Amino acid sequence: MRLLLAAAALLALLPFGLPPYAMTLLTEALILGLFAMSLDLMVGYARLISFGHAAAYGFGAYASGNFLLHTSMPLPCAVLLAGLLGGIVAIGVGWVCTQATGISFSMLTLAYAQLLYAVAFKWTPVTGASDGLAGIPRNPGPFGVTWWSTHAGFYYLTLAFLLGAFVFCRQLVRSPFGAVLRGIRENEAKTIALGYNTRRYKIAIVAISFGVAGLAGALYAPFAGFANTELLFWLLSGQVLIMVIVGGAGTLVGPVLGAMFFLYVQQKLSSYTDSWALFFGVIFILFVLFMPEGIWGLIQSRFKQKTV
Amino acid sequence: MALLELDDLTKRYGGIVAVDHVTMRIEAGEVRAVIGPNGAGKTSLFHLITGVVKATEGSVRFADQDVSALPAHVRCQRGMSRTFQLTSLFPEMSARENTRLAAQARDAKRWMPLGGGAVFQSAAQRGDAALERLGLTHVAGRPAGLLSHGDQRLLEVAMALAQQPRLLLLDEPTQGLSVEETAQAVEVLSALFASGELTVLLVEHDMEVVFRLAHKITVLHRGSVIADGDPDTVKADEGVQNAYLGGFA
Repeated sequence: MRLLLAAAALLALLPFGLPPYAMTLLTEALILGLFAMSLDLMVGYARLISFGHAAAYGFGAYASGNFLLHTSMPLPCAVLLAGLLGGIVAIGVGWVCTQATGISFSMLTLAYAQLLYAVAFKWTPVTGASDGLAGIPRNPGPFGVTWWSTHAGFYYLTLAFLLGAFVFCRQLVRSPFGAVLRGIRENEAKTIALGYNTRRYKIAIVAISFGVAGLAGALYAPFAGFANTELLFWLLSGQVLIMVIVGGAGTLVGPVLGAMFFLYVQQKLSSYTDSWALFFGVIFILFVLFMPEGIWGLIQSRFKQKTV
Repeated sequence: MALLELDDLTKRYGGIVAVDHVTMRIEAGEVRAVIGPNGAGKTSLFHLITGVVKATEGSVRFADQDVSALPAHVRCQRGMSRTFQLTSLFPEMSARENTRLAAQARDAKRWMPLGGGAVFQSAAQRGDAALERLGLTHVAGRPAGLLSHGDQRLLEVAMALAQQPRLLLLDEPTQGLSVEETAQAVEVLSALFASGELTVLLVEHDMEVVFRLAHKITVLHRGSVIADGDPDTVKADEGVQNAYLGGFA
């Protein structure tokens, strides 16, 4: 807990010491961290593997993009509303996908993402088709509040969303609801036999997870100023799954670190070679083989050793 | 009034009749064993009662209500708690967390997504009480997956008990236990049943266990009931001797 407060304080102080380029990178890392954290709710706590999490991210990005382009809704409201909308739509998605279990569930999530991807190419008035949405503004709030339109301001807004979502998710996984999720993860048949309607819990966690992922996507659109079909592509779904596993599934904090690590390594490697993904693949395999607990697991075991 | 009434309960898988017109009544407070050779339909009968499998024909009445159409988790909410033939636990959770999660299922606020300290507290109380009744308090903090096989079997009973069920269904509680472990488990279970407040339906292979624990015995053979009564009557029954007991008594 103290470690987390320290990390939050450090993140809050960073804008004072970093060049604008690094700030941009860090903001993107936090957005991806929020995205990865949302997937961890499903993967780490209920063992529901989503291969289509980009669907939620892209949905949020297009939703907030449209709100910001076509209305004068203040930026934070647009982000919240986009996340909420994504979560509500995901109730239906969860209802369909949880008809199946295991790998079939994962395939249905992938199918949903590919469906949105296809729709985004055709529904020009809303998505701009292959051009995407460009020039997405950071709308001001009432009384001329505009602090989030600067580099540092947007960073703080992102940080606030990340911390808020983290506190929410942590409460969630520690609640009676979260205990049932862990039951589903370890032994779903037994959880049903104990009298839990596990399907409802699964639909709920899909909706919440997609909603939080929607927040991340909704932040990305005004961050980058555009939204395009790549945000719905399966490649992103795969990458975010890698961030969760490398960071440490089932920890909430780990996936955020995983996202930062991913982005950092991507930046470093891609300045040397175009086939950086190949090298990251090797790193991923090494993690799975030798550090299945991920980065956060490693940090925690170090800490325990020191305090013992 | 009987707590559980089965009427002409039948399950067919294609041409195979797993359970064949079984009619049975279990009174509150009774400990009933269902015995029979392998493939007699004991576990199928369990699945039909608990709702894991839907009956082809016939009905299940529980506490004066027809539950035939209800899914497994709803029947469980009505007060049926079961254990599995093959141990089924949450291996990474501690024994205490296992019983707590079982007890939580009986709380109206079991789904609370935020907070819920009170839910946990009352569930933990009922869970700990169940652990104590089965003599597992000393291993409460250990991950369930690391307990001895005997303790795992008893933990499953503790989980069912933590739900304060009206009907406790045990599917071969001593399955896979060594002779000593079986003796221990029977000791614990007979002490548990002695209070008379539980209604128990148990399926069991081990005849010694059955005759020590059960007040009444139902014998299944090829899906149908061939005898029904107190242990001595069943032991003396010629049909049962031929079909199953093979001179045990």
